[in-house]
Amino acid sequence: MSFAERMLHIDRRIIFLLIGLCTLIPLLYPVGLAIKVSPEVKSVYDYIESLPEGSVFLLSLDFDPASKPELYPQAVALLHHAFKKNLRVIGMTLWLPGTGMASEVVSRVAREEGKVSGKDYVFLGWSPGGGSVIINMGQDLYKAFPTDYNNQPTAELPVLKGVQSLRDVNYVISLAAGSTGIETWYVFGKDKYKFELGGGCTGVIAPGLYPLLRSGQINGLIGGLRGAAEYEVLIGKKGKAVAGMDAQSATHFAIILLVILCNVFYLLIRTSKNRAEQNRS
Amino acid sequence: MTFLRRQLPLLITLVAGLLFAAQYYIPHPSSELMLTSVSKWLQIIGGFALVLGVTSLFHIHAVKIRRKEPGWGYSFVLYAAMVGTIIAGLSPDWEQFFRAIIDLILRHKSAFRDVQWAAGQEIINGHMTPFGWIYNYMMVPLQGTMFAILAFFIASAAYRSFRARSREAAVLLIAAIIVMMGRVPLGEYLIPVSGDITQWILNVLNASVRRAILIGVSLGAVALSLKIIFGVERAYLGGGKE
Repeated sequence: MSFAERMLHIDRRIIFLLIGLCTLIPLLYPVGLAIKVSPEVKSVYDYIESLPEGSVFLLSLDFDPASKPELYPQAVALLHHAFKKNLRVIGMTLWLPGTGMASEVVSRVAREEGKVSGKDYVFLGWSPGGGSVIINMGQDLYKAFPTDYNNQPTAELPVLKGVQSLRDVNYVISLAAGSTGIETWYVFGKDKYKFELGGGCTGVIAPGLYPLLRSGQINGLIGGLRGAAEYEVLIGKKGKAVAGMDAQSATHFAIILLVILCNVFYLLIRTSKNRAEQNRS
Repeated sequence: MTFLRRQLPLLITLVAGLLFAAQYYIPHPSSELMLTSVSKWLQIIGGFALVLGVTSLFHIHAVKIRRKEPGWGYSFVLYAAMVGTIIAGLSPDWEQFFRAIIDLILRHKSAFRDVQWAAGQEIINGHMTPFGWIYNYMMVPLQGTMFAILAFFIASAAYRSFRARSREAAVLLIAAIIVMMGRVPLGEYLIPVSGDITQWILNVLNASVRRAILIGVSLGAVALSLKIIFGVERAYLGGGKE
């Protein structure tokens, strides 16, 4: 077995170790490289900035704990921004396993910003049905969620004063980790009830949402941890996303290096095989 | 019986399909009221689907455990975790509960009526419920760990299989490397133009191809919906041939 062949069949634990170190070292010794803000993240920020005080902002946290590292920092940054702007915040989720986490992030950020449940914000929780929940909210919010997550009747909450359905919501953002998320909110919500819609998603599904962005079906898109880091830079509150960018830089470059090496070895093997065949013939 | 099993579901599908396709274009209050009612029904049916799913899961794994099929130990773990979580989710606020027991023993006064139940909540009265503990300290880290492991496997798989075997594969490889560079600050620092090229790849090349796929899938969905509404496609009825 040649050196190139041996390198191609390298023990995968060495690769695991390399990725582990590339994640760990930058987290322990951050460099803090500058983060450039992309237009799709800026447009979400600009839209929230343009909303007058008291506008209704609905954040749908459509993800489970598996996507927490990417989407939780997005939720934190968006909630800080919305509360700073004194928007009325409605939190909810279409993903059952994410309910506890969604409730925790909304109440935690609200507490940090000195906001009161029921007066400044409400967390509606989860309701079964996915798309049909959105239709139901579009028809009558109080029928879809008669009580909030803390069992308070929604009709009596001051934060929802003047809000009858999704038509009265100024801006909706879905932070999605999969199929019940941004597309669902567009198809069953925005298209019929005419609110402005933005999105946040995991890095892996972001490329699939660019057609919605380009056609104006969503007005902005926060993609993955990078998107969260850009938003943290925009609101001037650097958090976990910015801290994680050095680790992401290192792992991306480790994978690029591995892919280049693998192709160099592959080409070496192919060239030597071709030469051997030519010599034989 | 054939009428109930075949004709009636087909008739319901035809009427409901046409009615709700038309409803979208009719903004009359009665049409909206109908949509409100039906969307509520859908939510209720969604709740039943959840119950059905859990019941089915219990049944499948109970059979595996009873027959001691290969991997039945995992089924047992799943069973224990599900039952444990359900019990924890329905449990009372332990502090209040124990206080009520002490009251009952020492003062012969029943305070059980004041005990609050978790009812699926992670926090009640400011402290974490057993369900909240399971959620925060077991489910969240376990799911996060499972997802994080992907990074290691992706790196290993990329090293082993991401090779320029053809021109098309080479194009994909170069695009992937540019996007990976352009999405991290280090890439933009080393090659400042990589960020802009990445934006162009995502916004132009990627978006146009994705859009073509979306249009194709959507046209297929419309065609399938029409086939179901008009009874051409009947696989959803199940039961095979009559």
